[in-house]
Amino acid sequence: MNAPSAAVISKPANRALHRLFLTLFLRGRSSRGLRRSSVPRSVFSKLAFTLILYALVGCFGLYFLNGPVFTLSLYLHGMTLVFCGLFIAASAGETLFNKEEADILLHRPISPQTLLRAKLTVLVQVSLWIAGAFNLAGTLGGFRAIDASLIFPVAHIISTVLEAVFCTSCVVLGYEFCLRCFGRELLENVMTAVQILVAVGAVAAGQIIPRMMTVVGSHVTFRSDVWWVRFLPPTWFAGFDDALSGSGAGLSWILGATGVTLTAITAWLALGRMARHYELGLQLLGETSTMRPAQGGRRRFTALLVHVPPFSWWLRHPVQRASFILVSSYLVRDRDVKLRVYPGMAPMLIMPVIMLLNGHQDVGLGSFGVAFAGTYLGMIPMLGVTLLQYSQQWAAADIFRIAPVIGPAEVCAGARKAVTCFLTVPLVIVYALITLLLSRDHKALALMLPGLIMLPIYTLVPNLGGAAVPLSEAAEEAKSARRGLVYAGATVVAAVIASLAIWAQFAGWFFWFLLGEIAVVTAIYVPLSRSLASTRWSANVD
Amino acid sequence: MISVQRLSKQFGQQLAVDALTFEIPAGQIVGFLGPNGAGKSTTLKMLTGMLAPTSGQGTICGFDLEKDVIEVKRHVGFVPESGAVFESLTGLEYLEMVAALYAIPADAARKRIEQFLTFFDLGFATLTDKLLGAYSKGMRRKVVITAALLHNPPVVFFDEPLDGLDANAAVGFKALIQTLAHEGKAIVYSSHILDVVERVCDRVLIIDKGKLLLDGQPEELVASSGAGTLERLFTQLTGGTEMERRAEDFARTFRP
Repeated sequence: MNAPSAAVISKPANRALHRLFLTLFLRGRSSRGLRRSSVPRSVFSKLAFTLILYALVGCFGLYFLNGPVFTLSLYLHGMTLVFCGLFIAASAGETLFNKEEADILLHRPISPQTLLRAKLTVLVQVSLWIAGAFNLAGTLGGFRAIDASLIFPVAHIISTVLEAVFCTSCVVLGYEFCLRCFGRELLENVMTAVQILVAVGAVAAGQIIPRMMTVVGSHVTFRSDVWWVRFLPPTWFAGFDDALSGSGAGLSWILGATGVTLTAITAWLALGRMARHYELGLQLLGETSTMRPAQGGRRRFTALLVHVPPFSWWLRHPVQRASFILVSSYLVRDRDVKLRVYPGMAPMLIMPVIMLLNGHQDVGLGSFGVAFAGTYLGMIPMLGVTLLQYSQQWAAADIFRIAPVIGPAEVCAGARKAVTCFLTVPLVIVYALITLLLSRDHKALALMLPGLIMLPIYTLVPNLGGAAVPLSEAAEEAKSARRGLVYAGATVVAAVIASLAIWAQFAGWFFWFLLGEIAVVTAIYVPLSRSLASTRWSANVD
Repeated sequence: MISVQRLSKQFGQQLAVDALTFEIPAGQIVGFLGPNGAGKSTTLKMLTGMLAPTSGQGTICGFDLEKDVIEVKRHVGFVPESGAVFESLTGLEYLEMVAALYAIPADAARKRIEQFLTFFDLGFATLTDKLLGAYSKGMRRKVVITAALLHNPPVVFFDEPLDGLDANAAVGFKALIQTLAHEGKAIVYSSHILDVVERVCDRVLIIDKGKLLLDGQPEELVASSGAGTLERLFTQLTGGTEMERRAEDFARTFRP
């Protein structure tokens, strides 16, 4: 059996790689102890549930049916960009750069372009599932918009595909550009920054879109004074829809042509000209870094910190101290964890900032904005602790069970303290500064207290029942849609507490409200904490 | 089959491989030895097309390591030390995927996979029932070895291939590579188990700090140095002679 020529290789290799990366995306990359028959159930049920949620959220698009095609399409494309952007921000790092993959694939006769194309196709494909679910209602009902023709669904499907390709190509191009400009030493930090920017950009875009709409008579339309929005991608793809199936205005043709041209250019750059840098990135990730750890610098920072008061008082238990050092080291050093935690948290940070900025502009909302931002802060440790349970080195967490530690309580406590120290406290300070800067009234800070008082409970919730042991779950388990529901619930709780705080302040018994809240939080926290302390390691481990 | 002239690799300020020069003809099994961090894995990665050299030249079956990298990859098989596989595929899915990357027709690939199953004394169900993540280390290693030889490459690189294999499989594997060499394949065998290298390899290359220290037949090298065994020669060359005494001192620290 002699090796066939290179030209013959490409087609079956393309197919095999596409099938491989789609399978890996659906099943995850590691699955110790799983039997084949048990895999699809969990994966497909999660995926189906997520897509149903997107389809339900997409029904809000029907509200824009009494407006022109451009407005409807702008809403749909804007939100598609948010959802696809968040998905790509969360998945691209894991899909594009996997350390072990180098040993498996880099010595096979496939070009970096072939490898990249297969990954890009899978990312676009899954983005299209998400976009398809979200756009389902709008696409089917879109021809009823006031200036729509019957070909709207076709035009919108094409523009959605273009948007998914554009979005994915932009992220890949961002990585390739960073690899070219910054080299391997800065690669991991730059990659994290790119993903954070994508996530922040996606959420910010989602917040900008509703502010571009206005109600004229009986229908919603696009505000003519926000000319700058024509430079944003959703407008180009909305222009595409409007040109082909709506008003057919000259500007829409220009916007549509811009979208098509820029999509083609980014895809060409990502897959063609810059693909060599992707191969370089894969090679470099497999190599040990040549950077020497700074003496007395970051490498030893956390290890030193735990021996300095007040940390030495706060971290008396040796297991807590070890867990604190482990988790904070991963927060600072581990590419996989950084790529999951920081971009994952970025959307959470945008919401309170927008509430604060809204409050600044609107006097009536000012107090609520501060109070809501305070309560929303509670979700930062909750999300931090949740995301920190996932790692590519999850199997190494067996050390917790091997060690003579009776249960996960102290390990989890160390992780919670690391999250509090490195994520929560800095962000609380940032929010406090923004609040002071915008309101110029230090009394406004008091409205953040109801949220801060809730922090211990929010932080503890992910660990209940001995769950969310740091770095103990396979990375792909992080794709669960259930987490979205938990945060939706937590947002409702945040809004309720913020409303109660405002009410208490207006009624003049804010101080008593705080005391009452402290009492309730203590009454809830103590039994929850005791319950966690008595939790033993689960017996059913693979 | 393998020709290397002044091959070097530099990472930042660190010279990982320093001007290596050697040739390996068809039918030879060459032990590639060196202490941890000597540059073995980096050299193997360059020779398999995974990593571009910083300077120097090399060819595999006449194909240049830099200019004809895809052709180089088509002509080599590689068993990496990590034994990495896609854990969420079954063994069969993984091997069929690898076969597709080399454009091996499905029926031919299936036939070859069955031949390997027979060689390793495994049933077909072993490859279809479980995901690779649930395999034992030895089973996983067998799949990786199968994947490296599936396309019948003329040059094969093994990095710690016996890691995880049981005694019977290890004996079978050693016989396999000797037969493959007789059939005309060039085999590079990197390992820290020096008595196996001494028994299996026709020739050894010892490197340290990226430089080639010694190149020759094991028996001749051992005889000319007066070391007695390849292991003792290796420790003399790479500064490991103090290790036994240090180990004894360290063990004494455990006394109650």
